Amino acid sequence: MTLLSVSDLTIEAGPPGDRLRLVDGVSLSVKAGETVALVGESGSGKSLTALSILGLLGEGLTPTAGRILFDGRDLATLAPEELRRLRGADLAMIFQEPVSSLNPLVTVGDQVAESLIVHGRASGAEARERAVEMLKRVGIPEPARRARQLPTELSGGMCQRVMIAAALISRPRLLIADEPTTALDVTIQAQILDLLAELGAEAGTAILLITHDMGVVAETADRVCVMYGGRVVEEAAAVPLFAAPRHPYTGMLLRTIPRLDQPPKRALYSIAGNVPSPRDWPEGCRFRTRCTRADAACTALPPLDAAGEGDRRAACFHPLEGPQ
Amino acid sequence: MTLLSIEDLKVHFPVRTGRFGGAKGLVKAVDGVSLSLAERETLAVVGESGCGKSTTGNAVLGLAPVTAGRILFEGRDMARFDEAERKAAWREMQVVFQDPVSALNPRQSIARSIAEPLVIHGHPSAEIPGRVDELMELVGLNPDQRNRRPGALSGGQRQRVVIARALALSPKLVICDEPVSALDVSIQSQILNLLMRLQEELGLAYLFIAHDLSVVRHIADRVAVMYLGIVVEEGPASKVFGDPQHPYTEALLSAIPVPDPALKGRRQRIRLEGDLPSPLDPPPGCPFVTRCPIAEPACREARPALVDVDEGHRVRCRVRAPEGAANS
Repeated sequence: MTLLSVSDLTIEAGPPGDRLRLVDGVSLSVKAGETVALVGESGSGKSLTALSILGLLGEGLTPTAGRILFDGRDLATLAPEELRRLRGADLAMIFQEPVSSLNPLVTVGDQVAESLIVHGRASGAEARERAVEMLKRVGIPEPARRARQLPTELSGGMCQRVMIAAALISRPRLLIADEPTTALDVTIQAQILDLLAELGAEAGTAILLITHDMGVVAETADRVCVMYGGRVVEEAAAVPLFAAPRHPYTGMLLRTIPRLDQPPKRALYSIAGNVPSPRDWPEGCRFRTRCTRADAACTALPPLDAAGEGDRRAACFHPLEGPQ
Repeated sequence: MTLLSIEDLKVHFPVRTGRFGGAKGLVKAVDGVSLSLAERETLAVVGESGCGKSTTGNAVLGLAPVTAGRILFEGRDMARFDEAERKAAWREMQVVFQDPVSALNPRQSIARSIAEPLVIHGHPSAEIPGRVDELMELVGLNPDQRNRRPGALSGGQRQRVVIARALALSPKLVICDEPVSALDVSIQSQILNLLMRLQEELGLAYLFIAHDLSVVRHIADRVAVMYLGIVVEEGPASKVFGDPQHPYTEALLSAIPVPDPALKGRRQRIRLEGDLPSPLDPPPGCPFVTRCPIAEPACREARPALVDVDEGHRVRCRVRAPEGAANS
């Protein structure tokens, strides 16, 4: 069952008449209980796509086209009150920077309990009790004592766990996680990823994971959407995507990652050029100026279903064939 | 020949810990680190946040106060340098930091930024523009861009500017503190390739400080793994990565996500419980004891010694490398 469906989402910045397009016709979907990774480099539009689902786009950013359906309901048509009811209860989000996302003046326990109280799912005392339980579930030692502390008294890894506890306490149907482990050390990252997978599976929560790290994608995602230059360029299940990427950008991105099992002290494979800023996106395929397969045809914009089969789609006129 | 040697370096910072700035504590950011770096060699210092790797680099650069120990550059104690000697040493020793945005003056053209060390060190001004063009070409920038501001460049190009500036005085040693961490994945490998090529061409030595072990694997000749202010394992990269001995090194390596979903769930990952202890209140004995999967009660008593387990491969763990059992 499709839980979230985003179709043709376009987001622009700036005043009317002088608008800069940042997200350009993005479509993606998340099924109930599934983990979908939205991967891309800076400026690809992945985080804006995620923020717009929650209606959290910052000032000056406007969704100018597209539709977002959550559980069949168009989020744009919901009254602010209805949207607020959805957020935190059915739809939750965690961010990259746990420390700045938590309120420094409110105890950790109260912040975890908040969504239960706001949404009227539990009384104050009961919510606080469940918050302590949840803190224990996410692996915080001495949860009762920690619940009474302020976020500043906790380490970054612990604050990230507090955010996960706050997001998952109301057993949301969809969790949007924007680079949830990027600010953390690898040993803590491993703990947090395990925890998300475990708690997600337990509550049947679907996860939309926004990340730039292909390693994290491989370890968590069922399905992957790769973004480049404000568009989805490839979408596929994780295993076939890594084994046989169709879009040249996906293929080159996978080859460029330094891996422990490669011979050291040799030149690494690298993609020439720079990630273009939205102001400098080329006409047609956004990747064509860095692509080794590009030709005259690529000056036209390839649709996402230009290449693919079955559940796979790639926005490329000259897709890669077979394992890379 | 040994270019840099760090002997039993300690960097301790006093901190006020009480809510109202009352009680005083001591953060032992670096607590007895000894490392050496040969000419043309890359020594990587790795570890997680708070392990003291950046503070070690900063102490070498004179940006962190040395509480105890010695730092020798070309065999001479840097603490005993007079003004002229210190200035001479700064020519030989340069730094590339993580964030190229804050490392460059946004109002200066990139040519001026690259020229700055040349101006400071009294390079003949007629020769500076030519040298700047040469440096820009060396790092893969088009000299036609010399009048651009950093804001008009991409992150990767800005890091190339920072590298060009670091090379202006033809140093022997470049301290690279997380030089690719802030860059996009597709740009990281460009910069790593550039650093490797420059090392070949110019005979540079790198003290390469990083948290990303897959990056370090590519560039390092030797690796030192730090945890809470001390080195827990050190050796040739092939040994530390291929045959890690310290349980922390093992955990660090096994925590790296592998970009292959076919292995998902099949890979045995060492799960560390708990967080890094506070550096204000480190456990007595081995600092890793609170998270170590193989700790024994005796590990809590005294800090284990760094023991040679193989040629140039040293490990600080009383379970894996007990003292007295050394391969001498």
